[in-house]
Amino acid sequence: MSEADLSVPFRQRAGGAMKDAHLQEALTIATTKFIGLRREAFADFPEGERLRDLAREIKEATLQSLDRYLEQLIDNVERLGGHVHYATTAEEARRVILDVARRTGARMAVKSKSMATEEIQLNEALEAAGITAVETDLGEYIIQLAHERPSHIIAPAIHKTKGQVAELFAKELKREVAADPEVLTRLARGELRDKFLRADLGITGANFAVADTGSIVLVTNEGNGRMVTSLPRVHVAVMGIEKVVPSMTDLMVFLQILAKSATGQKLSVYTTLVRGPRRAGELEGPDEFHLVLLDNGRIRQLAGTLREALYCLRCGACLNVCPVYRQIGGHAYGYTYPGPIGILLTAMLDGATAVTDLAHASSLCGACADVCPVRIDIPKMLVGLRRELDEKKLAPWTERLAYGMLARVLASPRLYRWAKPVARLLQRPFARNGAMRSAPLFGDWTRTRDLPAVAPLTFQERWKDLEREGP
Amino acid sequence: MTSRVEFLSRIRGEMAKTRGLFPARTAPRPAEPRAVAETLRRELAERWPAALERFRREFERVGGVFHRVGALVDVPQVVAGISRERDVRRLVAWDAQALGGDLLSALEARGLDPVAMPPGEVPEGERARLRQVVAQADLGLTGVDLAIAETGTLVVRSGAGRPRSTSLLPPVHIAVFDRTALIESLGQAGVFLEAWHRAEAPGEGAVVSFITGPSRTADIELTLTRGVHGPKEVHAIFVETPIHD
Repeated sequence: MSEADLSVPFRQRAGGAMKDAHLQEALTIATTKFIGLRREAFADFPEGERLRDLAREIKEATLQSLDRYLEQLIDNVERLGGHVHYATTAEEARRVILDVARRTGARMAVKSKSMATEEIQLNEALEAAGITAVETDLGEYIIQLAHERPSHIIAPAIHKTKGQVAELFAKELKREVAADPEVLTRLARGELRDKFLRADLGITGANFAVADTGSIVLVTNEGNGRMVTSLPRVHVAVMGIEKVVPSMTDLMVFLQILAKSATGQKLSVYTTLVRGPRRAGELEGPDEFHLVLLDNGRIRQLAGTLREALYCLRCGACLNVCPVYRQIGGHAYGYTYPGPIGILLTAMLDGATAVTDLAHASSLCGACADVCPVRIDIPKMLVGLRRELDEKKLAPWTERLAYGMLARVLASPRLYRWAKPVARLLQRPFARNGAMRSAPLFGDWTRTRDLPAVAPLTFQERWKDLEREGP
Repeated sequence: MTSRVEFLSRIRGEMAKTRGLFPARTAPRPAEPRAVAETLRRELAERWPAALERFRREFERVGGVFHRVGALVDVPQVVAGISRERDVRRLVAWDAQALGGDLLSALEARGLDPVAMPPGEVPEGERARLRQVVAQADLGLTGVDLAIAETGTLVVRSGAGRPRSTSLLPPVHIAVFDRTALIESLGQAGVFLEAWHRAEAPGEGAVVSFITGPSRTADIELTLTRGVHGPKEVHAIFVETPIHD
């Protein structure tokens, strides 16, 4: 299964992914490796925990004065000769970028990896307007050739084998090459180098934007971020409003923990700070620089229940540790942002009803919150989403009845005591070895797991006996 | 189209609705970053050997090749060695002043084919021609503004005579630095970034690049591969006698 189709229910998408033996192997290898690399990076970095606290505080402080920092950023970008655009919706963001492309007569755009442009589905819009959009991050390039979407925030093509990539290159680039990552990478380098030098338009996201200086910050390992911001004559950067940080000092706090969380590197190979268009005396750089500030559901959450998700740095650490993501991979989620944080971001962008099923695609184990560089309490917000959805009465009546009864029983010691013998009686035909494989009304539960049976003697009952016997 | 005023007033409207936020502050910034940077430089003038050793270790860990020479005049010999091993000759270099000295004739004498980048604004046609030269070059020779020991990172600022492409398009990047560029940590780099920002000068470019080893990817089966878009090799040549003094 390579591409999610939202007309297929989540349960089927997830089921399909779990039956895909190759995907399962790829996911296990990739996520396990990332977890180890991250752990080692922080083990060697005693200041890490303090910096995570600090980073969290900076994000919160920035949101508390977001209007001021955005104004500062806008003023600085404009002072440097750049243009700032404001997009309330994805549609508006696409329109702004298409206008720039048309006005400047752009025919080919090179892009460095950006989740924000995935989010606004920019490539399709550019293609429809007759502008060739080329993804230049190797992983993104591969999935673009395959007409797929990223399956991981930072490793978009982890679901593909080198054999599949070689076949894809043979088909799309008409070049037969060995299924060797080194050879495949060299081929892509040649193909894309030519495009970097010919493209008119460079499109990036922004990992950060520094209000104090008007700098857009791009973090890459391949160097495509540098190419895209230096070679084409127009540069457009698309960023969610939450990416602004106040100062260079703040930026350095994030840079110290971002790569460690994402890939276990102390720092990614390239961190590029770009301030506006080419300056006098510079040999290269764009004649025009455009910054598109993207709302798309973010502003509403400044005072919303998902506010904390606005801290997210898009490092992908929570994906790797998530027992659900590790089983189903990114595509089964069905939206731009997969994994635990992806569920929250999807709810932010598309509304809570978009995650009716996804809100439950979490065991609430808390591993995501443990690794999050800015300590976003993802499980708490997932529970909040579940509550919000529950209030809409979207679950089947059987489920609502069962949980409603359970809530009553658990809230009253008297009812609880009374319910135990009743439950033992009712479960008798179904319980084997302390568990029920199936039970009437519980079909949805027992389809994928056992339902624990009420114990012959509960702890409460045993405690009473023990108390009587004395120590 | 949404206007700046509409956009920001919606943000303010939502911000006004928030309640019970925890008190939060941004990172403490140096009030006088230039003074702090100067103090740091003075302190590092004492303890640079330890920083250099750490830089070498980290730089090699990320796949860089470290060299050490006595003075700037010894640099062409190292560069010639690198070019001979790879059997290449075309080199592009930062302008002599940006590099700290004129190495072109010495490089030529050693069989290289060097081109220096112009020290100031050039007409558009000439820019396009130079871009082709850089795109076809085998080696790019640059200076370094900061060398960060903690991460093995080279920081280079773009500007007149110091194009971005010199460290980007050629497959081999050779960077020359001395102990005045050496700092210990990313935190210290923040002080210099703040200081640079306060002291903007003409001829300054729009980009600051942090370069931590050769370009790399692990996008195919997580197999580490070097040189996907940027240089496949990065060499750092440490010059013992300070270059710019």
